[in-house]
Amino acid sequence: MSKVVEVSPTTRHEGHSKLVLKVNDAGIIERGDWLSITPVRGIEKLCVGKSMHQAPKISSRVCGICPIAHTLAGVGAMEASIGCEIPQDAYLLRTILQCANRLHSHALHNILTLPDMYIPGTDTKINPFTPEEPVRTVAKRIQRLREIGQTVGEIVGGEAIHPGNPRVGGMYYNISPQAKQKIFDLAKEGVSLSIAQMDFMISVLKNWENRGTVTVGKTEVEIPEKFGWHDQGYMAVDPVFDSSSLDFEPRWDPDRWTDVSPYNWYQGEMEVSLEDADYPVGGTTKAGTKTWPQMQACTSVPLYDGCPVEVGPRARLVQFKNYDRKGAMGLQIARQMEYPDCLYTMIEACDALDCNGSVLADEIPQGDGSLGWNANEAPRGCDVHLARVKEGKVQEYTLLVPTTWNFPTCSRALEGAPWQLAEVIMRAYDPCVSCATHMLVVDESKKIVTQKLVQ
Amino acid sequence: MDYLGKYKSAVAARSTCSEVLAGSQDGGIVTSMFIYALEEGIIDGAIVAGQGEKPWQPKPIVATSVEELLSSRGTRYNVCPNMSVLKESVRKYGLDKVGIVGTPCQIQALRKAQLYPVGLRDVCDKIALAMGIFCMENFSYQSMTQIVQDHCNVDLHSLKKTDIGKGKYWAYTNRGAVSQIPLKLTHKYEQPGCHVCLDYVANLADISTGSVGSPDGWSTVFIRNNNGENIWNKAVAAGIFETKPIESVKPGLELVTKLATEKITKNQKELEHRATFGVGKGLRNPYI
Repeated sequence: MSKVVEVSPTTRHEGHSKLVLKVNDAGIIERGDWLSITPVRGIEKLCVGKSMHQAPKISSRVCGICPIAHTLAGVGAMEASIGCEIPQDAYLLRTILQCANRLHSHALHNILTLPDMYIPGTDTKINPFTPEEPVRTVAKRIQRLREIGQTVGEIVGGEAIHPGNPRVGGMYYNISPQAKQKIFDLAKEGVSLSIAQMDFMISVLKNWENRGTVTVGKTEVEIPEKFGWHDQGYMAVDPVFDSSSLDFEPRWDPDRWTDVSPYNWYQGEMEVSLEDADYPVGGTTKAGTKTWPQMQACTSVPLYDGCPVEVGPRARLVQFKNYDRKGAMGLQIARQMEYPDCLYTMIEACDALDCNGSVLADEIPQGDGSLGWNANEAPRGCDVHLARVKEGKVQEYTLLVPTTWNFPTCSRALEGAPWQLAEVIMRAYDPCVSCATHMLVVDESKKIVTQKLVQ
Repeated sequence: MDYLGKYKSAVAARSTCSEVLAGSQDGGIVTSMFIYALEEGIIDGAIVAGQGEKPWQPKPIVATSVEELLSSRGTRYNVCPNMSVLKESVRKYGLDKVGIVGTPCQIQALRKAQLYPVGLRDVCDKIALAMGIFCMENFSYQSMTQIVQDHCNVDLHSLKKTDIGKGKYWAYTNRGAVSQIPLKLTHKYEQPGCHVCLDYVANLADISTGSVGSPDGWSTVFIRNNNGENIWNKAVAAGIFETKPIESVKPGLELVTKLATEKITKNQKELEHRATFGVGKGLRNPYI
């Protein structure tokens, strides 16, 4: 007979989420629900009626980890709606910004991942904050990679967190030749660091996968062969940057996207019947507690061609580089493999950048209310912003952010794994929950559901 | 009250570079110091008053070459908001070690920004050298135009140098003519904000400098903290400046103290006046 176990809140990721898992007698997950419990903040509604220049700045406030991706997607969506092409140098600056964001975010995720992993050849779990070697060198390397990403973000974006430089029609300023040289030097330094970091992470991740058993709390758990596998498809629009409705061949299609309300997707009301007080950190939810995923989930469930899809590093590698490793560790390894590309792309964009070139379009149309979208490949996956701009004002604004796409896919990937390792699978998706939590529904039938949730 | 602020040493000094002196206001201290610091890698750029769009209008620029520094020599006696490009210098120009020159109020703003870096993430730890200049008061561009064109009867395009000294406002032209007007005629053009300032010699700068107290062509220099002292000593050892003990020159620190006392006493009265000015409420004292 199946039991219900709840891990709430989940730890070591951005935002607040929880796992509600139906497990069999052996503790293997039969059905898993991973849902966001960060309250809805209504960013999309806030933007309605604001000027098109203001809306991307507001949407970047969704989160402090990938504000660059949200700014670029927001600005791109506005430009797509009004039909504004940006100069080449502005595009190059945005590309550098995008790479800087991805570099720092992937490095940050390493710190969140490592405590699950073991130092190869030992039974010691990695504490990234220990002063002891060999971990200290790795921690310093991670921080240096983050510093490089953030510094480049500061120069090109004006601010590493919530960048002010990107604007509708291009960028506010071009950078000076000295600043370009600084970015170049930083990227050169980053290349060797990132390759070392990639090799280290991949060996640690493969070592974990091949261990056979791992300890969680006080329990020894066996790692199943197909750990974190799912049969869903992948969605990615570009190996590095973005695609928008202005493209000659857009690589995303709004007609293939549908939304399901969480009420119709997640499990109904249940009672927790299994608990483990030794589960890190602080034990699981006590037995007897009521849990109601379909009412508690704060996201909508976006589907592409009627199915949940995976977005993120693996999706990009599968779509554009024939990557074929499955499972949670396959996703983790794909993420590490993106490291050097961030820096090589930064170097190429620096090479091509003309510091004296104009970075603002000559003419910025004010928009006629037509739908424009921009799909930005944020560190965690495809971040789609859709907007309608009329006479300079935003009429409608929707954000389809990476982790929203990943919630249902990851829930499927949980099946077949011991429940103690559910968080390891979830963390492989590098969840960034707070931005995934403002799916205010737009059409009439779904408004009712929103009200139901609010009640 | 301590009118000259804290300082480690005070000297009279002059640049040894004739190119700097050819266009400098007095001893060419700020220009020479920044050129030396730039060449030695102490700073990799400096925020100075460059040329604006109109004649004699300054515009804050981030100078990253000796040429840019040289073209920014001299005092223009109107407002140049140097702090406004502080963030840009670190972002757009990607500087790691910033030099900045400013009037006492600008240096106060700089130090305040370093204490409370709101909106200045990763900026304030990159200030490598803050040069302060003596300042009695300042004028807006329109006021300066009025003084030079109407009172001194000199066209801005033929103006070569302006100066304030010996109780007069001086305007020198390219053809060699000199106009002078009593300083009191300019008082009504001063910025009202300058009348509550209690700092004459940039008390919070690393090094502050100005003409008062030293003979013509020389500047009085206060070296105020360890950072300023290190850089100053290196520059003097490198032969960038010739110096004289401040005690050996006329009029010396006595005049600096006198003017500082005058400014601060006068402005304290203005502060007290403003505290009771208006309908039932005083204007805010920026120092409390």
